[in-house]
Formats: sequence, C-alpha cells, structure tokens
Amino acid sequence: MKEDTLNKRPKRFGMVIDLDRCTGCGACMVACYAENNIPFKADESNKLDSINWMRVFKITNGKPYPHTEVCYIPMMCMQCEGREGDGHAPCVSVCPAVATDYDHETGVISQIYTRCFGCRYCMAACPYHARKFNWWDPAWPADMENYLSPNVSPRMRGVVEKCSFCYHRYQLARDRAYYEGRDEIAEKEYQPACVEACPTRAITFGDLNNPGHAVHRLKNSPNAFRLLEKLHTTPKVYYLTRRTWVRRAGDNYLADEHLNTARKRIIRQQGAVK
Amino acid sequence: MSKTSWIPEGVKRCSGRRFALGMAAVTAVLAWGVYAMFLVWYKGLNQTNMNDAYGFALWIWADLAVIALGGGAFFTGFLTYILGQEKLKGIINYAVIIGFICYSSALLILAIDIGQPLRGWFIFWHANVHSMLTEVAFCLSCYFAVLTIEFIPLILENPRLDRVPFLHHLSHNMHGIMAVFAATGVFLSFFHQGSLGGVTGVLFGRPFGYREGIFIWPWTFFLFTWSAAACGPCFTLLITWITEKITRKTLVKPDVKQLLAKISGWMLITYIIAKIADTIYWALVTAPSMGFTLMDFYSNNPVYGIWILIAEIVVCGVVPGLILITRTGRENAFLLMLSAFLAVMGCCINRWVMVLQVMAVPLFSFNEWYMYTPSWQEVATTILPVAYGVIVISLAYRYLPVFPQERELNPAD
Amino acid sequence: MKINRRHFLSLGVGVGAGLTLSPVPWKLMDDVAIWTQNWPWTPVPEDGRVSYVRSVCTLCPGGCGIRVRKVNDRAIRIEGEKEHPINRGGLCPMGLSGLQFLYGPSRVKSPLKRLGKRGEGKWRKITWKEAVSEVGKKLSDLRENHQPHTVACIAGSDRGSLPSLISRFMTVYGSPNFIRSATAFDALEQAVYLTQGEQGRIGVDLENADFVLSFGCGLVDGWGSPGWVCRLFRRVGPKMRIVQVEPRLSDTAAQATHWIGIRPGTEGALALGLAHVMIAENLYQRDFVENLCFGFEDWTDASGNPHEGFKKTVLDRFSPQAVARVTGIPKGRIIALARAFARAQRPIAICGRGKGSLPGGIDESLAVHALNALAGNIHQPGGVSVVSDPEYAKWPELNIDQIAAEGMQHPRIDGAGSERFPHTRYLLNRLPQMINSASGEPPVQALLVADANPLYTLSDTAAVQKAFDRIPFIVSFSSYMDETAMQADLILPNHTYLERYQDVLSPKGMPYSVIGLAKPVVKPLYDTRHTGDVFIQLAKVLGGFVEQAFPWDSYKSFLKEALNDNWDTLNIKSFMEVRNEAPEPLNYTFQTASGKFEFCPVASNNQKAKDLHAASLYSLAPIEGDKQSYPLVLIPYDAIRLAGGDIANPPFVTKTVEDTVLKHDLAFVEINPETARGLGMAEGDEAMLTTPRGNARVRLHLFEGIMPGLLALPRGLGHTAYTPEWCLANKGVNVNALIGPIEDPVSGLDRGWGIRARLSRA
Ligand SMILES: Nc1nc2c(c(=O)[nH]1)N[C@H]1C(S)=C(S)[C@@H](COP(=O)(O)OP(=O)(O)OC[C@H]3O[C@@H](n4cnc5c(=O)[nH]c(N)nc54)[C@H](O)[C@@H]3O)O[C@H]1N2
Ligand SMILES: Nc1nc2c(c(=O)[nH]1)N[C@H]1C(S)=C(S)[C@@H](COP(=O)(O)OP(=O)(O)OC[C@H]3O[C@@H](n4cnc5c(=O)[nH]c(N)nc54)[C@H](O)[C@@H]3O)O[C@H]1N2
Ligand code: SF4
Ligand code: SF4
Ligand code: SF4
Ligand code: SF4
Ligand code: SF4
Repeated sequence: MKEDTLNKRPKRFGMVIDLDRCTGCGACMVACYAENNIPFKADESNKLDSINWMRVFKITNGKPYPHTEVCYIPMMCMQCEGREGDGHAPCVSVCPAVATDYDHETGVISQIYTRCFGCRYCMAACPYHARKFNWWDPAWPADMENYLSPNVSPRMRGVVEKCSFCYHRYQLARDRAYYEGRDEIAEKEYQPACVEACPTRAITFGDLNNPGHAVHRLKNSPNAFRLLEKLHTTPKVYYLTRRTWVRRAGDNYLADEHLNTARKRIIRQQGAVK
Repeated sequence: MSKTSWIPEGVKRCSGRRFALGMAAVTAVLAWGVYAMFLVWYKGLNQTNMNDAYGFALWIWADLAVIALGGGAFFTGFLTYILGQEKLKGIINYAVIIGFICYSSALLILAIDIGQPLRGWFIFWHANVHSMLTEVAFCLSCYFAVLTIEFIPLILENPRLDRVPFLHHLSHNMHGIMAVFAATGVFLSFFHQGSLGGVTGVLFGRPFGYREGIFIWPWTFFLFTWSAAACGPCFTLLITWITEKITRKTLVKPDVKQLLAKISGWMLITYIIAKIADTIYWALVTAPSMGFTLMDFYSNNPVYGIWILIAEIVVCGVVPGLILITRTGRENAFLLMLSAFLAVMGCCINRWVMVLQVMAVPLFSFNEWYMYTPSWQEVATTILPVAYGVIVISLAYRYLPVFPQERELNPAD
Repeated sequence: MKINRRHFLSLGVGVGAGLTLSPVPWKLMDDVAIWTQNWPWTPVPEDGRVSYVRSVCTLCPGGCGIRVRKVNDRAIRIEGEKEHPINRGGLCPMGLSGLQFLYGPSRVKSPLKRLGKRGEGKWRKITWKEAVSEVGKKLSDLRENHQPHTVACIAGSDRGSLPSLISRFMTVYGSPNFIRSATAFDALEQAVYLTQGEQGRIGVDLENADFVLSFGCGLVDGWGSPGWVCRLFRRVGPKMRIVQVEPRLSDTAAQATHWIGIRPGTEGALALGLAHVMIAENLYQRDFVENLCFGFEDWTDASGNPHEGFKKTVLDRFSPQAVARVTGIPKGRIIALARAFARAQRPIAICGRGKGSLPGGIDESLAVHALNALAGNIHQPGGVSVVSDPEYAKWPELNIDQIAAEGMQHPRIDGAGSERFPHTRYLLNRLPQMINSASGEPPVQALLVADANPLYTLSDTAAVQKAFDRIPFIVSFSSYMDETAMQADLILPNHTYLERYQDVLSPKGMPYSVIGLAKPVVKPLYDTRHTGDVFIQLAKVLGGFVEQAFPWDSYKSFLKEALNDNWDTLNIKSFMEVRNEAPEPLNYTFQTASGKFEFCPVASNNQKAKDLHAASLYSLAPIEGDKQSYPLVLIPYDAIRLAGGDIANPPFVTKTVEDTVLKHDLAFVEINPETARGLGMAEGDEAMLTTPRGNARVRLHLFEGIMPGLLALPRGLGHTAYTPEWCLANKGVNVNALIGPIEDPVSGLDRGWGIRARLSRA
C-alpha cells in the first residue's frame, strides 16, 4: 500500500550537468539532432535561426593570457516549474492555445506541434532561448529522410519546438514496464539521448523526487546552481562546478552582491531547493 | 432616383479624376504591401528578419502602437456617450473611423505575424485563460466587431444608400442604440488595452518588461489603458489636422479640438506621473531583485541609451502634458499639434521599448545585446495599413458625412 | 418578376447567412488547419519493426563500438555501445552523425569515369565490369612495360586486413610504393624505436596514469581514440591531473587541471628543462636509470671516443632560466611542474599536437620520451609501452615474378626506408615534392587512393595539386565525392562503413588490444563495391602470380580466414579485448645494441639518429617565413566539432560549429585582443591573412586564451569538394593550403605546425 503510493507519486524529471566534466565536444547536441529528427540547412552559422534543442555555450572568465579560463555550458529547455513551482513556467502560462503545457506527472513541458500556431509568445517569455521556431520548411536532402525516427514527428514550418527531455523515451520505457507488469521504471530505463551520448558522463538525469536517483543527491551539492535563478523560473536543470566565476556567470548579480547571500535569499524565497 | 449623388449634400469634393489619381498612387503602395504579405504567407516567416531571439518585432510593435492610437475611438466614445460630452459629436465619427482602421490593421498584422495563419483560430478554440494573448485576441475581435457596428450607420448615411428604405431604418435604429455599443466598446477596450500591456508585463523571464501588479494584472496593464486613453485622442486630433491640411478646410471647430486636447492633457499628465512612479519602483526594486541595475538596460549597445527613457517620459510625456493642460498652450494651434504629435510619439516609443527593447536586453552575463533590423517585407507589410488607412479615410471623407460641422464651417458659395 | 439590385442583394445576404449557419465554413476551416498539420512536404517517418545491430565506427581510427537502431530496413539512429571497452557508450559528434554519411548527398553511387577536364565534376556512370577492366588494363600495361614501380597507392592505414590485402597486392604486382598517411604516432614510434629498439604500436596508459603531462596533445580535440581519451576526462580531478602545454587555450587546455601557455615549437626545450630539474633535484627513478639505461652518464664508444651523456647536456644547457627564456614560461612554473610530474605516482608525458595527425620532430618526441624514462614508466602501468596486437592467420607465401622482383628493387619514391630515412616506413608528405621535382616522366604513372584524401589533408595544397596534375592516371576508391575523388580519372566507390565488413584494430595509444568488426548494418544502398573485392578482382584481371596470391573468392572469405577463430566471436559481439601482461620491472631487456634504454641511440644505422643525442640535437622547431614581412605566427588547431581529416564534417557536426569559428562563408582566425588592438582591428572584422604559401579572407575572433602574436585557424574547413547539400563546401579556408611541410632531418616526416603570417585589412 505504502509502496503503491510511493510509485504513484508524481515524478519530476531533471538533470544535473557537471560543468567541470563537460569538454564542449557537442556530442550531446548531435545526439539530440539525431534522436529528435532535427533538420539542418545549408548555413547554420546564424545561431538565432538554427534549430538546436540544446546548445553548448562557451564562456570565458575574461582574464588575459595566460590566466584565461573557458567553461562550456550545455543548455536545453530547463523544464521550469514557475514562480510558485506549480508548473506555470514562463512559456506555459503565456501560450494562448495550450500548445505547450506542464505535465504534473513528470514535470516535463510538452510541445504540441500540431496545436502551435506560431505566435512565438512562448519564445518571448523564455529567458533561456530554449525555444526554436521553424522559420523554414524542414528538408532532408538525398536519401536522408530514411534516417528519420518514427518516434518523433518532424515539425512543419511555422511552429515552435524545444527539448522534450526525449519524452518518447519515457513513453517507451513506461510502455515496456507496463507490458512487463511493472508499476515503475528504473532510473536507467529512461535516459535522454544527450545524456547517453556524453563521453565524459557530464550529464546525470533522473527523478528529482526520487531519493534513489543520482540527481536527487547531486542537486543538493554546495556546488550546484541553476541558471538565472533570480528570475524565479525554477528550472529542473541544475549545474555543478567548483569554479566560482562560472557560478557567478550563471546569473546576474549587483556589483556589491555576494554569490552566497544571493543564493541563500533565493533558496529562502523558493522554500529551499526542491 | 438614379440622380442622387454619391457625394453628401452641401459639401465640396475634388474631381473624380483627381481623386482617382490620388487613389492610384496610394493603391500602388498598398499593392506593394499586399505583395509582401502574400510572400510572407506563401514562403513563411523566413521572409522577415525576426529570429529566435526576436520572436516579437516590428509587427508586434505596429500592432501595439495602432491599437493604442486607435484608442481614440473608445475614449472619445466614452466621453461622448457615457460622460455626455455632446460637443465631441463633432469629432466622434472620425474617431470611430480611425479606430476601425487601426483595429482592422491590427488584426491583419496578427494574421501575417503568426507562423500558421490557417490555424490562427486555435487561439479561440483552445483558449488558455492564463494567457494575456488570449485575452487580447478575444477583446480585440469583439471590439473590432463593435467598431464595425459603430461604423455601419455612418456608411449607411451615404445619400445613395440612405435612399434604400431598409438601410435608412437600419441606420436610424442603430443610431438609437449606439450608446450601448459605445459602452460595450469602452469596457472591451479597457480590457484589451490592458491585456496588451500585460503581454510583456507578465514575462517574469524578461526583467526589462516584467512588472509586479495586483491580482493577475501587472502595472503595465493599467499603464497601457491609461496611455491609450491619453494618446489615442491626440492621434485623432493629429489625423484631423492632417486631413484639414490636405483638404485645405477646417472640418472640426477649434473648441471641440481644445476640449479633447484638454482632457487628453490631463490624462497624459496623470499617466506620466504613474509612469514615473512605476519606472522608479522598477528601477529601484523590481529589476535589482532580478539582478539588474537600471543602466544594465541602457548601456553596451548601439541604440538603446538612457535617452530613450528621457525622450519617452520627459520630451513626449511631461512636455506635451503640460502644454495641453494650459489654456494658452491649447489655444496656440502650433503648440496644440506639436503636443499631440509628441504624445503620439511617446506612446509609440513606449510600445517600441515594451516589444523590441524587451527582446534586445541580454539576460546572461555572457550574452551580447540582440539587435535587429526589419526586412523590406516587414516594412512593406507595416506600411500596408497606412496605405489602407489613407484609402479608407479618403473614401469615407469623400462619400460619407464624417464631419457634421463641415457644412457650417465651409459654406458652399 | 423583374430582378433588381434589391433582389440580388437579398439573395446574396441569404446565401451568406445560410452558408455561415451551415457546417461548411467550419468544416473547411478545420480541414485547412488539418492540412497544415499534414503538409505533404513534411515527411512522416514510416514505423515498423525495431531491431539493433552492433558494429564498429570507422569514421576515425578511434574504433568505438556502436549500436545501430533500425526500423524495418532503415537505419535510424547510431548509439554508443555501452559494453564496448573503448567508448563505453559515449560517442563523438562524428560517430553520432554516421547515418548522414550513409544516406547523405555526397555519396558516389556507382563507378564513375571522368568526362571533360580533371576536377570539372563531369562524370559518366560506368559498370563495375568496365571499371575493373579499365584499371586492370592500365596496371597490366604498366607491368608489361616493366614499370610496376611507377604505381603508387595511398591508403589511410596500414593496419587491419584491407590495407594488408592492398599492400600484398602492391608487392606481388611489383611496386614498393604503398604509402599511408602519417600521424603523430609515427614520430613517437620512431623515438621509442631509437631508444628501446622495439618496433610496434605505442600504448599510452592514460587510464592508469595519475599525472598526464601533455605537450599539446588535443586529448579532447580528437587525439588518439577520441571515444576512449575523451571518456577518461570524467576522472580528471585530484586523482588524475592533466597538465596541458600549448600556446592556445584549446578545449583540452580548458578541461585540464592546469594549462601552461608556451611559445609554439619550444615544447622540446621545456621537456629538457623539466629533465634538468628532475636530475638536478634527484627526482628521477634511479633504479631504472642506473640499471636499465645507457647514455645517461658520459660514455666512451668502442673506438675510445668520449661522448657527452644526457645528464651533462641537460644540466649544462637546459637550466630553468634558459628554458624560461626560450619557452616564455616563468622559471618557477617550470620547476614546480617538474616536481609535480616527478612526485606523482604514475606520471606520463605524451606529445603529438592537436588530433595527432601530424608527426612532430623526432628530437621533440625523444625529449618528451626521456621524461618517461626519467619517471621510470616504460612498460609500466600508467606508462608507455609497446603493444602487440593479436596475430592474424598467416596467408599463403607470395610467389613473385621477374617483373615484380625488378619493380620491388626500385627505391620508394617517397624515400622512406632509404639510407636517409631508414626508420621511417611511409613519407606521404614527401611524395608531392618528389613528383614535382622529377624531370621528364613523372615517377608516378598511376595512383590508387583508398581511405585517404591527400588533396585536402596534406599541407601546401597548391603543390599537392601540381603533383596530382602530373600523374597520368588516378583512381579513387572513395565512398564520398571528396577533393581527391574530384581529381580522379576513375572512381570505384567503396561501400560505406555501415554497409561493409571491416576489421578495426586497436586505436593509436590504447594500452591494450581491442579488435572490432564493422558489419553491414544495411544492404548496400547503391551500386558500390567493397574495395577488398575490387582488388581481388583486379588480381584476377592481371593473372599469373598476382592472381595466385589471392585465392579467395571475396573479401569476406579472406577476412574470415584472416580472423581465424575470432571470426565467430566478432561477428556476434563486434569486439574482443586482449590485455597484455606488463613486463616485470627492472629485469626487462630492451632490444637495443646495449640491451638498455638508450638516451643516446648507439646502434642506429642512421648517422643522424646516432648523433641524436636528445639534447645536443635539440633545436627550436623551424617556422617558415621571415619576421619582417610576416610579423605574426599562424598555427592550425584541431577541434572535435570539426573533422580535420580525410572525411569531412557531416551537416550535423557543422551545425554545432560556433559562430565565432565560422560565420556564413568566412572562417574566424583567433587572435589575442592585445594583438588585434595593435593592428587596429576588432571582433568580427574581415581581414586578409597572408602566409608565404598563400592567402585567404578571414574574420577575426578576439580570444584572450591565445598567446599574443599568434593566429589560430581550425582544421576541417575550406573544403572544395562535396555537394552543396553537404553544407560544407566553400566555407572557410583550408589551413593546410596556407602552411607548407617542414621535413624532419631524422625521420623525413612533416614536423611543421605553424607558419609566419600577416593580417591586413580586407
Ligand atoms: N491536444 C491533444 N490532446 C490529446 C491528443 C492529442 O494529440 N493532442 N491525443 C489524445 C490521445 S490519442 C491520447 S492517448 C491522450 C493521451 O493523453 P495523456 O495520457 O494525458 O498523455 P500522455 O501521453 O500521458 O502525455 C502526457 C504528457 O506528456 C507530455 N508529452 C506528450 N507528448 C509530448 C511530446 O511530444 N513532447 C514533450 N515534451 N512532452 C510530451 C506532456 O507533458 C503531456 O502533458 O491524449 C488525447 N488528447
Ligand atoms: N512521441 C509520441 N509518440 C506517441 C504518443 C505521444 O504522445 N508521443 N502517443 C501515442 C498515442 S497514445 C497515439 S494515439 C499515437 C498518435 O499518433 P500519431 O498521429 O502517429 O502521432 P503524432 O505525432 O500525434 O502525429 C503524427 C503526424 O500526424 C499528424 N497529426 C498529428 N495530429 C494531427 C491532427 O490533429 N490532425 C491531423 N490531420 N493530423 C495530425 C501530423 O502531421 C503529425 O506530424 O502516437 C503514439 N505515440
Ligand atoms: S556531450 Fe557531454 S562533454 Fe560533450 S558537450 Fe555535451 S555535456 Fe559537454
Ligand atoms: S526553459 Fe524556456 S521553454 Fe523551457 S520551460 Fe523554461 S521557459 Fe519554458
Ligand atoms: S508559438 Fe505555439 S507554443 Fe508558443 S505560445 Fe504560440 S501557440 Fe503556444
Ligand atoms: S533531453 Fe532529449 S530532447 Fe532534450 S536536449 Fe537532450 S536529447 Fe535533446
Ligand atoms: S571517436 Fe572515431 S570511432 Fe569513435 S565515434 Fe567518433 S569517429 Fe567514430
């Protein structure tokens, strides 16, 4: 009985990305393209019209040679929970057609391409630039349509798309568990494509609610932080780093503000890091 | 029967030939805009210079601006029908026409601006009550319907149409209930002007636009309604003045204009006080709580300097407001029009920053400002409503008794 | 009844109202919306039965294990094989994009014969029968004219069954000119050979090392086996420190524990400076150096001539002060680094810049290897070893005829193995110059190119092009329309790696052996043929002993025989792992004349190598160009998001390239902000980059992490071949075209890494 209620407890899937391990290789980006039928076009060098559900940003500490340091920050949809942590993510509450929604069972923000009518309000709302618009019709040259996965529909021109935490993988895992008569899927059974591809295992994925999952412990590390926490978007993607300058770059601080006091204030306001 | 002229009785209009020539010129501009519009519909939004950082750009600005300026209709209607300022009947028709043009343009722009125009109706069908845009869409469409209803009786007053008995009676009865529609319109307009302010005000991921507020409404909700009420009539005055210059006639009595200007002036002054209070609170409390200082929003980029805040609030707010509330200022035709112009500019700047600067501000310490220049297709489709407006105004002016005081002010020889 | 306008109007209103109230417009609206959700030009992928095929990625020599997900007959996704010992589930961006190679637009879909001028891109489809007989005829004509030695073959590798098959073909045919592309491991192998007398694959046990001192190796930029090396970075931390020495903050430097900026080309001096500190402070492994090394102390040769030992030279000439001056690294840092290296439990020093596709100087490799000897980590866990891979089955003895025997007597065209370069097996970098400098008939009458793209990867592209222009007959076996295939007379396209069998031997640097087997994941899509089969068929056309040397009916049966007992295991599991046992310390006998590790190679039959007292011969790596006209130095850099080798970036990988590396068609050259300021240039400015070998339009990217005075351009851009749909052609500049080769005096290998350059306003 107790077990049952535990299993039925809503999941909050999330990620912890160890920036000290990320080499910036971009394998996660490519894994995402391949897994999610992401199109490409002749010139992808304008990063503002290029569809990337995740992008690995390169930042530097700005110090002169040879004291320069570089850090790579992989960024995808943060699967925000909103100011009250109730699923009113910046993008969700603004979508006039409910084409994007917060799933209270998994904590994943959906995106229904056939519902979206392309008003781009959600893009204006998302501070992480996680949302990408299909400015062009997707096209696959030569025989490349052959490699498209049936698990994810290719998107038509004029709609918005974004990282889904590879939701179809969750569905497949859940289906498998169901057929095998299990209530619950194991941590290993549902891992997004980018997580699996990462050569240095920089990304950890799991249910933030489940004390048995690695992310549950990792997110409480003193080195953990989230991007733009002060906006109270309450992301479910956490980052780890030992480097203070990187943690500082992850948010905006007033000149006289200390990283730690600012962080404590946010934790207080949000009722501890969930 | 067939001898009744299409042109209202007792007024003088230019020759058909001259009118046709003028129309042709404007139609050419219109055609250019229509061509761009079809290009966008056919090829998609890649025809614009918008991108993933600039999901909202020139068009949304144009939308917000024309709706604010079209606010002259609801506010003048409110003054005329609800508060009983009978004097304003001298300009109310024109205010309604300008409002109609503004709102139909706004709807057209929205239809171009969305990635899937054929699914545009999902906004009604799958409406999300939490979304400001849903509120905008509903109120905008309803208010457009109201404006159409307000416009119809005027159309029916065309001498030729008026001769059809059914239309004559229809027109008469509609006039009778116009106050009801005006009241509905005021209510709707109040809300959607506010919702438009809410569009950026609720974006808690965008510190430049985000404002606290009461209940579900951010302060921008109220500021937008207020500024539309203040600047919309100024726009009506400005367009009236331009019409008078072009037709080389006085069409509205100065006392009508001055009354409207005086009310606008007080609206503007109170608005700008609220706006200043809002700006101070935002600069001192809201933005710092999100990690930003005021100057973060106004430096390190080629365009958006603090000048823009000064221009919006002082030059285009305080200055015209003060002129308009002083009798000598209002009575000086030049100062009156200058103030109306400044107020209109101020409103446009406000809508511009609330759309474009919101997108331009970098949120990450490691990002640059996002800059954007519209493509010719965007410019053409933005000019399209202007051409359309000129055509509608010209037709209305030529064929409808828009200005009740015209005959009195310009007696035929 | 008279129909007047009023009736008409009423009718119109009636119809309008009727239609509005009817379901027609609503239905139409709905249909139209649904149509936008099913636009026929937006594909709907077909679903079906899902299956997985295990195989091996061969897009680089990394040898990663893959699992290919299929839906019916379509391969839809490549994932890392979690059990594979090399990559353990991770994959690099190239490997993840593999299906774009398979289904992509740059495939050569059938044998092609050139029409029009070379490089014009006009081709005629021919049948395989025509193709094989045409090549066969050319080869037999040359043999009949007693010119078999004028046939050269460039291959990407000399390991595994296919290169063995080709090289067997070349031998029995009568040409000594089987050449493969070089890598940094060629220089390392030679350094190990000169000091240890052992020839073979070098293993660097990064898995067990706790302190990796890397002289510019792009460990996360594609060095060795990217799948393996990148994976090791998850351990970087207190238990595994990595110190990266290079002039630019590469991704490897960024991820390393410490980065030490150094003047380019002075790495060898730093190594000797570290040796100085280790010796002076008595921090080296005395057991190993005293008992198992030769030439450390001063010594006297057989004829009684005294020689200066390694110790004396290093102590005399490579003091931290002296090295600080040369390298630009503060003296204190040098001393601290030497101490940290020496005090680590299992330190290792490695070299080979960037991806390791260019060998460096032998002196530099020797200097770095000397640190390993001083640390006593030769053939130790966490150290450097020579690994032998499992043997393949022996093939039937070769019988060669008179013509072939004569042909094989001819010296190699590239000079490898000659008296001048006795320990070097292949010198592809020397081939263009040998062809260009030959008077009269060019020494190469026919060239076969398999798994290589020298027209892109060799430095000084213009000279390579000139050499190719002189070769009368060029055959490419490329699966893709690359730069070299574009210049061929005939293309005999191989299957891609997802359509063919291929054994994959342990990648460079692996301290143990892993054999992989790539399998056909899908049936060949087009009219392509396995290059192994083509060579077997060519042998049949040539007849005689050549035919007899290939008694197999197909490459597959040849491979089965070669793999012997391992075939079944490999066919099921796709890989097998063999761990070598580490020799016992201290009673190890080296295969040198002295039986010891030779700091000074006494027995080498190469006089230059013999003189190559690591220290006394050490010179700064020469850089081409004069300082007056070219005040800056251009270095190439490797990055994992760009494939700098013979296979070009697929669209997915190009998509990951940052807009500070490539913007539209222009590549960015990295420059220190201080240097840019001196030139009056700013971020994003366009400029003309000129070197003694060529020039190119570039844009500037200001980056604090590059040494002032340097410029850096990525390798992997500036492709001129590949179809436009491949999204890569004519983007950026091929840095190889701006840099010339610099011949190492001992090995003859290309030791160049940079060139002098200048920037001017565009
Ligand atoms: N709007 C809409 N409603 C539907 C349907 C539809 O197609 N559209 N289909 C109907 C049908 S057939 C069924 S069986 C039910 C299923 O309805 P449910 O059983 O409620 O749906 P689930 O499949 O459990 O998915 C629930 C949640 O999954 C997440 N999700 C689903 N798809 C995606 C996706 O592609 N990306 C991301 N990121 N998240 C996703 C969302 O958070 C969503 O709220 O729904 C029905 N209702
Ligand atoms: N990834 C993923 N896979 C799923 C599910 C899921 O939620 N996510 N749900 C499963 C379930 S319960 C079902 S019933 C199936 C649904 O199954 P499908 O219909 O196969 O899947 P969709 O991705 O919804 O749509 C595929 C394509 O159908 C078209 N399409 C989608 N919605 C509509 C629509 O409303 N009208 C019209 N005319 N065309 C449409 C679009 O062109 C879209 O590209 O998928 C199953 N598989
Ligand atoms: S795959 Fe891993 S290491 Fe590579 S960029 Fe992504 S997160 Fe970083
Ligand atoms: S990151 Fe952006 S798209 Fe994702 S949930 Fe948050 S606001 Fe929405
Ligand atoms: S673009 Fe699509 S998902 Fe975004 S707000 Fe508009 S309808 Fe919703
Ligand atoms: S979780 Fe899946 S969809 Fe999201 S970035 Fe990773 S691979 Fe892409
Ligand atoms: S590292 Fe080499 S072998 Fe491994 S996946 Fe990448 S390209 Fe393939």
